[in-house]
Amino acid sequence: MKEVASREMWRLKTESRIKWKEIGWYLMVIIITIPFIFPLIWILTAAFKTQAQIIASPPLWIFKPTLNNFKSVFMEQNFARFLWNSSVVAVASTVLSLLLGLPAAYSISRYNQRALGVFILVARLMPGISFLIPWYILFSKIRLVDTFTALIASHMLVGLPLIVWIMLNHFDGIPRELEESARVDGCSIQNAFFRIVLPISGPGIITATTLSFLFSWNNFMFSLVLSTNRTKTLPIAIYNFVSYAEVSWGNVMAAAVVIITPAIILTMIFQRYVIKGLTMGAVKG
Amino acid sequence: MSAKKPLRVGQLIEKNIKWLFPLPTGVFIFLMMIFPVLYTFYVSLTDWDMISGGLISFIGLDNYINLLKDPRFFNAVKLTLYFTVLAVGVEVILGVFIALVLNRDFRGKNIVKLFLLLPMVATPVAIGLAWTLFYEPTIGLGNYGLKLLGLPPSQWLGSKAMVIPALALVDIWEWTPMITLIVLAGLASLPQESFEAAFVDGASRFQIIRYVTLPLLRPTILIALILRCIDALKTFDIIYVMTTGGPGFASETLNIYAYNLSFNYFRFGAASAALVALFTLVLACNLIVLWMRKTYEM
Amino acid sequence: MVTRKHSTQIIMITVLLVVVMSISMLTVGAARRRVTIRFVAANHPFTDVIKPLIPEFEKETGIRVDVENYEENQLTQKLTVEFTSGASTVDVFMTRPLQEGRLFYRNKWYHNLNQYLSAPGWDWADYPKSTVEAVTLNEDIYAIPIVTEWKTLFYRKDLFAKAGLKVPTTFEELEEAARRLHDPANDMYGIVLRGQRGAAVTQFSSFLYSHGGDFIKDGKCVIDSPEAVEAFKYYGRLLHDYGPPGVTNMSWPQAQALFASGKVAMWADASVLIAGIIDAEKSVVADQVGVAIFPAGPAGAKPFQVVPWSVAIAAQSKQKEAALEFLKWATSKTMAKTAQLGGLTMARNSVWNDPEIAKHIYPGLAESARLTGPIAVPYDRPLMTAVTEARDAIGEVIVTAIESGGKADLASLAKSAAAKVDVLLARAGEGPSK
Repeated sequence: MKEVASREMWRLKTESRIKWKEIGWYLMVIIITIPFIFPLIWILTAAFKTQAQIIASPPLWIFKPTLNNFKSVFMEQNFARFLWNSSVVAVASTVLSLLLGLPAAYSISRYNQRALGVFILVARLMPGISFLIPWYILFSKIRLVDTFTALIASHMLVGLPLIVWIMLNHFDGIPRELEESARVDGCSIQNAFFRIVLPISGPGIITATTLSFLFSWNNFMFSLVLSTNRTKTLPIAIYNFVSYAEVSWGNVMAAAVVIITPAIILTMIFQRYVIKGLTMGAVKG
Repeated sequence: MSAKKPLRVGQLIEKNIKWLFPLPTGVFIFLMMIFPVLYTFYVSLTDWDMISGGLISFIGLDNYINLLKDPRFFNAVKLTLYFTVLAVGVEVILGVFIALVLNRDFRGKNIVKLFLLLPMVATPVAIGLAWTLFYEPTIGLGNYGLKLLGLPPSQWLGSKAMVIPALALVDIWEWTPMITLIVLAGLASLPQESFEAAFVDGASRFQIIRYVTLPLLRPTILIALILRCIDALKTFDIIYVMTTGGPGFASETLNIYAYNLSFNYFRFGAASAALVALFTLVLACNLIVLWMRKTYEM
Repeated sequence: MVTRKHSTQIIMITVLLVVVMSISMLTVGAARRRVTIRFVAANHPFTDVIKPLIPEFEKETGIRVDVENYEENQLTQKLTVEFTSGASTVDVFMTRPLQEGRLFYRNKWYHNLNQYLSAPGWDWADYPKSTVEAVTLNEDIYAIPIVTEWKTLFYRKDLFAKAGLKVPTTFEELEEAARRLHDPANDMYGIVLRGQRGAAVTQFSSFLYSHGGDFIKDGKCVIDSPEAVEAFKYYGRLLHDYGPPGVTNMSWPQAQALFASGKVAMWADASVLIAGIIDAEKSVVADQVGVAIFPAGPAGAKPFQVVPWSVAIAAQSKQKEAALEFLKWATSKTMAKTAQLGGLTMARNSVWNDPEIAKHIYPGLAESARLTGPIAVPYDRPLMTAVTEARDAIGEVIVTAIESGGKADLASLAKSAAAKVDVLLARAGEGPSK
């Protein structure tokens, strides 16, 4: 009897200790997480403040939100147009990169063309600014400077290597037996690729697509030189608010919200795949 | 005969598939990359600038020799390495630590992972502009936070000593989560037996981490580290937006130096030489990656 | 089944591609039909003024105008890359004569405007001589001035009244006022000036001139003269002792934000920047801004007054006639009046002599313009081709001066900066004539 009681007490004691430990652990997770999202939350609130409220010190936590910043972002600066431009460039460069990159990755994987793989990877290593002047000359010569085509091609140089490398890893993981049995049934290699390999590559393709889109969406340097008024993308357009006589911080923050939100929504939807893509280089499988 | 004919195109494709599949990619990369690379290399051997009238003549290795004579170049190399080592170092330590904390199943794990992802996918230009305001010594959040903690204020981007750590902090904010996520993925793939064995031997939690987990994770961490190094060496957007290399030249990394040379001073020859130097640095990093992949059979 | 699903995907992708491509082609195609000129502008209040009026111009002339605008440094970069490649499609562009004038002129990127100046109604005589000189090289006029700006001292009326101070008229009084109003414990700083490497040079210039120094003399950089070293010392001491923290990373946006948030008592910078501190939406001290003339140094008061922006026609433009029509319209007297009423300070004389317009100018600003004009120096940076690189070299001395409070060995630093600038002068063939 006595023994049972003490055992019971011991169990309760341990349980409460575990509970406290549990709470402490959750607290730690919260402390770790907050710094990573706090700046983004601050940007979001600043987008609804007036200029004077943003630069107020100490910072204002409670204020009457204003929509003026978003008004000037969409009415005065025509951000709808820039959103459209960014989307066109990101979607087209991603789709084209997929069209070019999927067969290439497959061939590199199946025929062990590793040299080509490394060659494509070098594109990721080059400092971006060394491309700018040569590209401009190249595109001028073929009269493409004023078009989306030039911008899309430049963004593909980021997207394509990414897609090739992600898909290369993915194809490496698909057992060859699948295609071989299809070949025995008289299927050609290209048909096996289109009918057997691609349909089961959904996760890999989603990963590659999402990342390629995000990198194009966020690209600043290439768009800086290759975009003109008709093709200006969002990261360049945010500088519209940094003018000769003043910086409208409220507008900058509202523009930042407009730029970042689609990226965040995309990340939320495809979270699993984004993580996979970003961590892939280091962990096999 | 009649059965063969429609197959011919298909057979032709199949026979040459080794070439046909990678060809478009190869051609594209060649046009978009090899041409610029060759061009950059060629320009680095000329005296092309806009200042002396624009006539181009071949001057051999003079640009490289001048580069070696320029204290700003060495300053840039030093700062590039300093920034990279500082940022990536902290990212790895912090990232591994956070991963070890998060390495268990819990409610809301996916939300926490999502929060960690956001700094990485948020547009760097927008982020840079916001951090510039945080770092404003008088009205910014940075010093307000320090004051709340009872710490002395900092000059942040306004001090030669603080500017690189302050920029590195932004990089750390953006990229620590990547290390965390990589390590989390690595942890998930570790063999359970080693942990069980250590547990049976009565090892403490700390001992398990120190003697079992970390050694097993070493290849993962190393690769993550080098991937980060490659990107950190090339960091551009954030420094361009926040300091453009200042105060003085205290945050002028190689990328910014080359940018200043080409797009502010219009000395394309010298700029190209600096770019070749940066490329060599990044390439060296990558060779290490490839070598590691081989060594660790990854 | 798999095949069908797959071919649907392919069709969708193809359709999407075709749509995207044809959109980009269409936009280009549509633009080419009529005479269309491409106007590349800066993010500047002037652009904000003329942009909404362009449809009127298009209706009147049948010329279509494509406007695009960029932040000032991005603008220079974009233009340089385009002109360098030799395949630019720019027709008309905004340009900074002091910053890039010599560079662009030397590379023959400007179309010479001399032959058009007598065009009826344009009234070239309406421009003050100093502004005409600003856009002239070798007697070629390469651009039309738009606005002027000059060094001004902004101060907080309320703080000066409370402390019983009068507006400083000499450097001693300026330092004294900064000292009296400096109260860092309560987040109040005496004075802010630009401290960021290259950006600081233009605002340092007035301090340099008023100490009796200059940037270049007879093709040699004289930034190491004893007068110049004194100026470095003064500038450094002022900001080190009575300036806000982090001043060495401050260009005008940071300085403006500080003044607008009520954290500094004085700010000396270009007159155009007043816009951001007298608007109650953007500034908590909007009703307390005083405008004063730049105080006098050992060599008197020598503030700069410059033409920061002008409009030019690109030499390679294939539609020069249409471009000229637009240029005339954009720099016309009527346009100048509209812009002046919109708060800008235009280069034309007529806008300053019109009493109707004068009523709308911020009190004190017109007065400071009137007083500054006769004593002004018409440049705020070294007059040379490699001006950005020279600014960076000189700016480094300013940064060290601020960090050390003027106590570092500025003489030898200035000497090595001068040597660097001399190399740049020689490279561009602008060195001393033998």
